[in-house]
Amino acid sequence: MGLSRREFLKRTAALTAASYVGLELPFTLHKEASAADVDKWVRGSCRLCGVGCRLDLGVKNGRGVALRGVPESRTNLGYLCMKGMLFYKVMGHPERLTKPLYREKKDQPFKEISWDEALDIAAKKFAGAVTAYGNDSVAYYGSGQALTEETYIFQKVMRGGLKTNNVEGNPRLCMASAVGGYLTSFGADEPIGSYADIEKAHCFFIIGSNMAEAHPVIFRRLMRRKLDNPDKVKVINVDPRVSPTSRIADMHMQFKPGTDLAILNAMAYVIINEKLYDEKFINDYAVFRMGKEKKQVDFAAYKKFLEDYTPEKAAAICGGNITPEKIRTAAHWFAKSPATMSLWTMGINQRKRGVWANNLIHNLHILTGQLLKPGADSFSLTGQPNACGGVREGGGLCHILPGHRLVKIEKLRNQVEEAWGIPKGRIPPKPGYHTVAMFEAINAGKIKAIWINCTSPAQSLPNADKYRKGMSREDCFIVVTDIFPTKTTELANLVLPTAFHFEKTGVYGCTERRSQLTPKAIDPPKGAKPEVWIVREWALRLAKELNDPVIKQCVAPFIGKEEGYELPKAIWDEYSQKLTKNRDNDLRGATYEVLKSMPDGVQWPAPTEAFAKTGGTVKKFVRGIDPLADKEAKDDKPYQFYGPAHKDRKLWIWLRPYKGPAEAPDAEYPFYLSTGRIIDHWHTTSMTGRIPELMRANPYAYVEVNPADAKRLGIKPGDMVEVESRRGKNVLPAKVYEGPIEGMVFVYWHDMHEDRMINRVTKDAYDPGSKEPEFKICACRIKRVSGPKPLKPYIVT
Amino acid sequence: MKRRWKFCFLAFVWVGVISFGTLSFAEKGPSILNKVGKAAGAAIKAVKTEGHPEVSEQEKLTPCFECHKEATPDIEKEWYNSGHGIANVKCYQCHGTFENMKKVPSDDNCYVCHANAKNHTKPGKTCWACHPAHNFPVKKK
Repeated sequence: MGLSRREFLKRTAALTAASYVGLELPFTLHKEASAADVDKWVRGSCRLCGVGCRLDLGVKNGRGVALRGVPESRTNLGYLCMKGMLFYKVMGHPERLTKPLYREKKDQPFKEISWDEALDIAAKKFAGAVTAYGNDSVAYYGSGQALTEETYIFQKVMRGGLKTNNVEGNPRLCMASAVGGYLTSFGADEPIGSYADIEKAHCFFIIGSNMAEAHPVIFRRLMRRKLDNPDKVKVINVDPRVSPTSRIADMHMQFKPGTDLAILNAMAYVIINEKLYDEKFINDYAVFRMGKEKKQVDFAAYKKFLEDYTPEKAAAICGGNITPEKIRTAAHWFAKSPATMSLWTMGINQRKRGVWANNLIHNLHILTGQLLKPGADSFSLTGQPNACGGVREGGGLCHILPGHRLVKIEKLRNQVEEAWGIPKGRIPPKPGYHTVAMFEAINAGKIKAIWINCTSPAQSLPNADKYRKGMSREDCFIVVTDIFPTKTTELANLVLPTAFHFEKTGVYGCTERRSQLTPKAIDPPKGAKPEVWIVREWALRLAKELNDPVIKQCVAPFIGKEEGYELPKAIWDEYSQKLTKNRDNDLRGATYEVLKSMPDGVQWPAPTEAFAKTGGTVKKFVRGIDPLADKEAKDDKPYQFYGPAHKDRKLWIWLRPYKGPAEAPDAEYPFYLSTGRIIDHWHTTSMTGRIPELMRANPYAYVEVNPADAKRLGIKPGDMVEVESRRGKNVLPAKVYEGPIEGMVFVYWHDMHEDRMINRVTKDAYDPGSKEPEFKICACRIKRVSGPKPLKPYIVT
Repeated sequence: MKRRWKFCFLAFVWVGVISFGTLSFAEKGPSILNKVGKAAGAAIKAVKTEGHPEVSEQEKLTPCFECHKEATPDIEKEWYNSGHGIANVKCYQCHGTFENMKKVPSDDNCYVCHANAKNHTKPGKTCWACHPAHNFPVKKK
């Protein structure tokens, strides 16, 4: 193992209780029923991260009182993390929003209004903006936590009804670079393989991911694989910060933030120059490409390109503990193992060159043939429970339509218009604003009405103050749908209370192309409504306001349907049967009936119910496993790359140079700042901050400082430290910890308190391809401002 | 063990008194409900701690293992090196938090993740009769 207990404790020994000093918690505590003491168990999926754990909700007297894992599930094998065990406590929480709240101006207090009034206001404001300022003056900003049915109907009304592609969502902040990587390397979005590869892998390459905290139940599967096969299985952890994930690593590669592109190219150099590549696999399935023009080059050109990345040169760029020997060892383990699986998350995606970083990981798999066989895959872990299913597949970003269709292609727009029964040409050809551009447009006064659903951009956008200023403008009408008050409801004109998970029905699609149904098990608090009902009723009013029957046509198939089950079922039927037909994410076999019959849902492609009932496609592109690989086969080779983005049906090995971050440290701001998740909390803590066990475990954010830096700057554990960038500053307690590399500080991003909300400090530079911001790296300076101070856990109420 | 607890508790008090002086109340955001003239959302209640030595509200914000490194080092070490420790299964997942704390948890807590284990648990026996807490060894098949 990488770190013994003694070593790990030694590193954390400097931490004292002083850094945790705080006061009372902002929640009421309740007695819970015993887990065994329930009337019934209702099967669904976890509400929180992207793993897609299957679980049962225990219901007693119409209330959610317990959760337990489902052992038959192929995602979690029965295991749950603490968030999955405890999120039922959100359901009956006394601070749930239950009345629509409205204010004309943002400096006024909210007043309670009826649903009729609220929907009328929302319709009038959006219609008024469209009439006065044009269709692109309105926008929708959604979430990878919304159900697929919700994202689908929102974007249908926006595109087909209001004629704008201003449809975005928070997956832009976390997964867009992975999408770009998959499309440009493999020609199709989403992973080829599955979690099932974990138990067959012999080498794990974990880069830019603290999966022990961000995806704990999948990490458990890796841990078990390693502990059960300590000599057979190798784990390489590549990260500028030692994290709990490092505990299962055989080798931890620690480097200056942003230099990992050089490591990846150097590993490719070793693979090529030491002839560790799979020549037949490359000849059969791959081509080499470079530049914006995607120019095809040959093997010799690639080899020459890599001469800039000898292990010696890369080690000099990367610093930290990176040595030429380490790079060579990693390349050998990766290439020679019977099956290698890479896993990554935001450390790779949230980067100025996130797509390139994704490409360089895929390169290693293509070069070595560590793909498509059992245990081998290049596997991006998704952050949110429905970023893949709802947003990537359901058309939740400004440039994509449902079924992995690009907005800019007329034929694909026409397919959607036909499926919706609306006139050809109704969907505009120009993609809308991507996330950062959307909030910049608000700052510039170009967006007059925006609907924000199930997410809190006021806290989760990078450089948040800049965008909160725009959101405070009186000429931008903001509707927020959510279950609790947040930093974003503070900037809203209209707040609409929604039903929570298990209080409504719908599908989540997790990391491994798996769609799973969560049925309504309990009623929402009186006054809270499912989003699908809200959108339908709003669209009917919009149609009247704008005197536009096409808007009504967008929701016509859903009029009169019962909101708890029949309405989402009708939406899912339309989406899956009409919009995924003959697409690579074909979900026609995954009907509600089939999904209800499966312990763990269905992996697409699943074109028929009979195939869906087998569980679907475990490995894409493999003949005999993936029905589309057989159907689309153009030759007799076992692998068929039929994805929509590569007409040559090849895997593309990219020549991508090393590029550093958008903002590197300098004399004025000499530290790297990076941010990330903590296991006990989810995103902005509006939910987990109200669960006593979770809030107590991590009541506020702190800044991790390397002991060498702490010593130099006179910072002791628990001292209050100012972290300042060119954009803003925080003051947080210090955790002196040999986690971040020297010269780097790390802050968890969940805390809502203005002093500890780290996105006031982060930078909003973004990848030019994926438009995903570089949350993970910016420059900052730090200084001790005082000894320990009393801190207060904080949530907006 | 009692002495260790006493030491730990006194250390907390010392930190509290020396560093912060008086205690203040938890901070809450401006309540949306307050803005419409209703009572504040959740009340802050002092709840009596059961099943755990008396600690202050501020001490309750300390992760369990921080104190238990000192208070029960053998147990903390066993947990840390176990599958639970590596996978970050934390104390409160079995023992609860202060208001619902159980020194000896119910088997129900185990079945949240290990539902199938029910099938081989002998009647009248606890899980830890065969898989001693806190490292819960499993016999290799």
